[in-house]
Amino acid sequence: MARPSSMHVAVVGAGIVGAAAAHFLAAAGARVTVLDASGPAAGATGASDGAVSVASKRPGPMMELARHARAFYGQLETEGLFTGLFHRRSTFLIAQNALEAELVSQHGADLALAGERVIEVARADLVQRIPGLGDGVTAALEIPDDGHALGYQITARLLQRSDIDVRRRAPVSEIMVRDGRAVGVALTDEILSADAVLVAAGIGSAHLLNLGDILIPRKGQMIVTDRASTGRPAIDGHLMAASYLAAKRGIALDRSHIGLVIDPLVTGQFLLGGSREDNRSDHRTDAVTVSAILRAALELYPPLGARRVVRTFAGVRTASRDGLPIIGRHPHVEGLVIATGFEGDGICLGPFMGESAARMILDRPPAADLSMLTPTRFARGGSSA
Amino acid sequence: MSDAPILVVGGGPAGTSAAATLAEAGLPVLLVEQRDQLGGAIHRQVARGATHAVHAPARHRRNWAELAQRVDAAGSRIELCTGTVFLGVDGDGRHLLDDRESGRVVARSVRAAVIAVGAVEKIHPFEGWDLPGVMTAGGAQVLLKETGVPPTGPILVAGTGPLLLAVSAQLAKAGNPPVAVLERGRPWVRFNSLLRMAWAGPQLGEAASYVATLLSHRVPYRTGADILSVREDDVGLEIRVRRNGTVHRLRARHMLVHDGIEPNRVGIPLSDPGGAVPVVLAGDGREVLGADAAILDGRRAAREILARLGMRLPEPGEARLTAARNVQAALSDLFRSALPEPTPETLICRCEARRLSDFRSLPDDASTREIRLMGRFGMGVCQGRFCGPTIAALRGEAVPSAIPPRWPLRPVSLAALADLKTDDLES
Amino acid sequence: MMTRIFWNDYVVPFRPGETIAAALGRAGIINLGPAGGPARGRVFCGIGACQACVVAIEGGAPVEACLTLARDGLRIGSMPAVVVSDE
Ligand SMILES: Cc1cc2nc3c(=O)[nH]c(=O)nc-3n(C[C@H](O)[C@H](O)[C@H](O)COP(=O)(O)OP(=O)(O)OC[C@H]3O[C@@H](n4cnc5c(N)ncnc54)[C@H](O)[C@@H]3O)c2cc1C
Ligand SMILES: Cc1cc2nc3c(=O)[nH]c(=O)nc-3n(C[C@H](O)[C@H](O)[C@H](O)COP(=O)(O)OP(=O)(O)OC[C@H]3O[C@@H](n4cnc5c(N)ncnc54)[C@H](O)[C@@H]3O)c2cc1C
Ligand code: FES
Repeated sequence: MARPSSMHVAVVGAGIVGAAAAHFLAAAGARVTVLDASGPAAGATGASDGAVSVASKRPGPMMELARHARAFYGQLETEGLFTGLFHRRSTFLIAQNALEAELVSQHGADLALAGERVIEVARADLVQRIPGLGDGVTAALEIPDDGHALGYQITARLLQRSDIDVRRRAPVSEIMVRDGRAVGVALTDEILSADAVLVAAGIGSAHLLNLGDILIPRKGQMIVTDRASTGRPAIDGHLMAASYLAAKRGIALDRSHIGLVIDPLVTGQFLLGGSREDNRSDHRTDAVTVSAILRAALELYPPLGARRVVRTFAGVRTASRDGLPIIGRHPHVEGLVIATGFEGDGICLGPFMGESAARMILDRPPAADLSMLTPTRFARGGSSA
Repeated sequence: MSDAPILVVGGGPAGTSAAATLAEAGLPVLLVEQRDQLGGAIHRQVARGATHAVHAPARHRRNWAELAQRVDAAGSRIELCTGTVFLGVDGDGRHLLDDRESGRVVARSVRAAVIAVGAVEKIHPFEGWDLPGVMTAGGAQVLLKETGVPPTGPILVAGTGPLLLAVSAQLAKAGNPPVAVLERGRPWVRFNSLLRMAWAGPQLGEAASYVATLLSHRVPYRTGADILSVREDDVGLEIRVRRNGTVHRLRARHMLVHDGIEPNRVGIPLSDPGGAVPVVLAGDGREVLGADAAILDGRRAAREILARLGMRLPEPGEARLTAARNVQAALSDLFRSALPEPTPETLICRCEARRLSDFRSLPDDASTREIRLMGRFGMGVCQGRFCGPTIAALRGEAVPSAIPPRWPLRPVSLAALADLKTDDLES
Repeated sequence: MMTRIFWNDYVVPFRPGETIAAALGRAGIINLGPAGGPARGRVFCGIGACQACVVAIEGGAPVEACLTLARDGLRIGSMPAVVVSDE
């Protein structure tokens, strides 16, 4: 493959993954054009929470990858790229009954096995650290090495700190392929030629690559409150209810489609979430779902009763059929790399995955084994990818 | 569904007029007003226990007496919910009402909706506009109507438009004339517009009486005056003003600012008279045409709903609305002036403490998302009602933040929303 | 009947039917925020739009002073001041 310095890469999608890939491609010397149908962070990246969390991951490859990805945040923070944007903080996994306590403790064991620090916190200690916690909270585990970053801020930083041509309001309608090679992308009234193409278009990738039967949109509704404190998080850690773990581990604790997190933002506001609604790709929020999230949040942390809701929003996660992200070379088209399907984990995984995608474009091996995430796994199953 | 009421939001002249008209046609109406009393911006009622009252011009008193009487006469056909904030329409089409008294949000099924939430004042920002002691002229005016007593200490009135005259005259009559009225425009110079105003009839008479009041209280009215900045110290506010190239310093305890008004559209459902639940906007919340036109426009909105339901109502008010539109156009021409460029340090968004320099650091082709997420403009508790017009002026085009409409269109108690009560079947 | 509210530590009398904003204004309380913050609370628009008059209220969510009637014995106070986010 061509040397980076003589190479032009078209990146489709200016979400966190596309922005990260573009950043590292440009840093390696490639000429990069990022095309977004709307603008940076217009998709899931701008409508999400920002837990850079290992605590929430399913045991197995996702937990492993999240540890790499979180470490990558730490590295970029230290190196200066993410200065001021990545905040370390604990995640508390919280149980409110015996069944949940069992789930939390099982998950804690899995985390410890993956090498993660896990601390059991007695209710009395927890209440001291987070005064006002609901009476129902029986047990908690603290995962002290997690962090938080806002996807849109990371995206903007990645695009600012490198020499990239960012094209807003530039929807790509087609990947141009000649003799089995990607040679560019089609825009509304122009063909942009490129030596390689990265599709990191979130749910938009489904249409571009004909992955409609592999990618599933999963809507999430979230709520933002007013400020409970000034210029610092209102509580000392991110509260993750067992219901969230259950949703992530694919266990049905009850029939609700809500996995509760209470996220104290650095602004002093709370971000509360969220729903998981399969095959919903609209951005509407509804009062019934929102009020259900709020009731769960109030039960876990009653001091929220002194807050006001200032905003609700919905984002669309892109899930794959088998629940794992999709990153790797297109099975049939050369010079075409795909990076999508990050579901509810793409803020955490994004910079690392973007950097990995950049390496794939440059024909270099990624820093971790990503072979189980290759798009080829669906091609084998006889699908259209 | 046909026994569901028509929702009317806003108890100002437009909303009450719409509600009365619909009720008179025999339909059940749910009239929602956030305050404890009907009246709206112009007919803000005096508090029960107040010892003083501000006298409105006879025309306005007559108009309101008539509207209030019609609402009374409609009796139980109008279900009046005061102390209730309309929060918008959720993604499933529920009309959400924040009942402050019961402390819970109620989702009501309605047959149609007239939204008449009025206008908000525009404020062209300058350094210090966010200080305590600085207030909108209209805000000071409605408070004056509520209490009957003006603020104590020297008051400076600044900005542009006819409201400056009205407020200043009312303050003078209430016993505390402003130290000065600083008008950015030069209305005396625009003779043509002044002539076109001549047939504005009652409004012109009203303006003349305000001018007379100011003259008799020797309140200086200065035109061509730009506010540069306001500072605060132990005793009050120091205001820097530029007029004819010279910078003056003035002192006051209160500064009232006003740069016109525009429809309060943030989060408001889009007008959709043909929808399954027809939605029609009315009054200054649809188009700023003033208090008299608001009554007509409420009636027009009611007619539109009735027509949709197959009921006819005579008397089109269009000609008088057009006349009101001409008056507004002439007024804005009369007071037209160039806005001074704010300094980079000037707060554009008070809620999120964002300055002009923050806006300028965004890419020129920034998307709406970027303006909101990276700029934080429109993300604060006022939801962009004040920075929105400023950003639109700086960009030369409106920020399309109102599309799609968002709910809640005002911050709402978290506990009240958690306690949602729906009258639909699902929960 | 005693009619007064408590603003932080001050006792503020009010007249029946009056809003919190009117009562505070008549008592000469203009600054509704903790001193020193970059943006302090104050009654500004008078119609519930600007949210600058929002006050914390004992036992519930904050309310707009300009929309909310004063009630006897009500305890209110300044909100946490708004500051520039950490960037
Ligand atoms: C409610 C919610 C909460 C979440 N919370 C977390 C969390 O706490 N932690 C975490 O790690 N992750 C979280 N996520 C997941 C995370 O937001 C996503 O996984 C991540 O943002 C995906 O980034 P992306 O770059 O792959 O896609 P996106 O951000 O969706 O970006 C895709 C971009 O491609 C553009 N595009 C699409 N089609 C085209 C086209 N044809 N031409 C040009 N451009 C196109 C879009 O405009 C968009 O900007 C959450 C997601 C949601 C919805
Ligand atoms: C502060 C102010 C002062 C003004 N003073 C004058 C004046 O002195 N003379 C003059 O000619 N014009 C004045 N105007 C212009 C005024 O808008 C019109 O003249 C006239 O009042 C418009 O009538 P309306 O019914 O359209 O709106 P409004 O009279 O503004 O009525 C709207 C009503 O809706 C209510 N409302 C708003 N949002 C909600 C919600 N989400 N839920 C429930 N209720 C809601 C409001 O409380 C209000 O009662 C003023 C405007 C403002 C903003
Ligand atoms: S003064 Fe603007 S909301 Fe109360």
